[in-house]
Amino acid sequence: MAPGMTTHGGSEPVFCTVVPPHMLDRLARHDDPALSGPARRTLLRDSELRGRRRVTTEFALAAAPAAKAPPQQPLRTVHDARNGTALPGTKVRGEGEEPGPDASVNRAYSGLGATFELFLTAYRRHSIDGDGLPLVATVHYDRDYNNAFWNGEQMVFGDGDGEVFLDFTLPIDVIGHELSHGVTQYTANLTYYGQPGALNESVSDVFGALIKQYTLGQSAAEADWLIGAGLLAPGVSGKALRSMKEPGSAYDDDVLGKDPQPATMDGYVRTGRDNGGVHINSGIPNHAFYLAATALGGNAWERAGQIWYDVLTGGELSDRAKFADFAKLTAKAARERFGDGGAEFQAVSKAWEQVGVRIP
Amino acid sequence: MRIQVRRTGGFAGIERQAEVDTSGRPDAPEWHALAERAVAAGRGTPPAGVPDGFRYTITVDGRTVHCADPRLTEEQRRLISRVLKEGA
Repeated sequence: MAPGMTTHGGSEPVFCTVVPPHMLDRLARHDDPALSGPARRTLLRDSELRGRRRVTTEFALAAAPAAKAPPQQPLRTVHDARNGTALPGTKVRGEGEEPGPDASVNRAYSGLGATFELFLTAYRRHSIDGDGLPLVATVHYDRDYNNAFWNGEQMVFGDGDGEVFLDFTLPIDVIGHELSHGVTQYTANLTYYGQPGALNESVSDVFGALIKQYTLGQSAAEADWLIGAGLLAPGVSGKALRSMKEPGSAYDDDVLGKDPQPATMDGYVRTGRDNGGVHINSGIPNHAFYLAATALGGNAWERAGQIWYDVLTGGELSDRAKFADFAKLTAKAARERFGDGGAEFQAVSKAWEQVGVRIP
Repeated sequence: MRIQVRRTGGFAGIERQAEVDTSGRPDAPEWHALAERAVAAGRGTPPAGVPDGFRYTITVDGRTVHCADPRLTEEQRRLISRVLKEGA
């Protein structure tokens, strides 16, 4: 099966990354063929794919959406896992419904809207897939769960343990980050390992930060360029999880340790952990974006953001791209959109040079 | 029985590890049963996982298996959560 926007078609349920194998086993033995059939097929497909399946294809296994958002509009649904791990959980708020008493639900709903709006107004992209994909989020996943992730189909947010992390729906850039993984999945589909994986992470940080800046109406000079500000519990020594302005400076704490991000290639970390350091080395392209955006000034989503978006969606970026490949394409995109030798081309080229990535 | 859990990845990219030594513990049989089932459902190589999802390695008496969110079995989830909470 080719990587990319794989669909299984049809209207029957498809159990992919969502349903745990033990539950599939039980469903496969169910008397009702409507339940056992899809489960059996999923198990069969899983066993066929297991072993040779890579990360990019694993989370590209999304079912065809049943519905599409109308033109220019989002189609949001927020679910509550009620501290369990079954996804998506119970639907608690649909598109156009009024806010309820649960602040996590309301924040997730607004964050989905803000992300949708930036991609639509700044880049003319209609939702994550550019084709009105419904936006789905689940809050209150598991108990004291210190994470948020994109499972290939939807966003999932934990409440945090209250000791180190607070609710993962609190920072809007975290919501934007997760949804941007969806945009990457539907476009360049950067392999989630090593340098392409760090680029995948960085693209999510870049657009997560831009969604926050766009929502707050902040220019590049006014923005804090932090990822996950407001997520650390009181008492933790740190201001956020990552800093695009000064990678490596976000936290330094007894429990968490020290922010390990490098700002330049001199500090590049070779490791097999964390999928080859995807959350570590993303500091380098993050800092390059910060340098380009602040050199240009004004709203970062307008010129620097446009260039990064052009690279992500332009079709030339390989799913195995390294930093230098990405850098080269940003210089090309800057030239093509804003003119040869213009301020944009200069700012982008200089930014990569400053972080030690040589454009081939 | 020595049960070690290492968690990597996640949105924050912060690693955590902890270990429980069951020798002399009154609840050792319960730990052993849980650990055996968790390991039996694990994989020899790291699974692909999902963006920002946690990756885990579970090592029981020197044997290491891998698993990743959100595709954990109930036993893996319980073992990981208990070791990270109660272990040292």
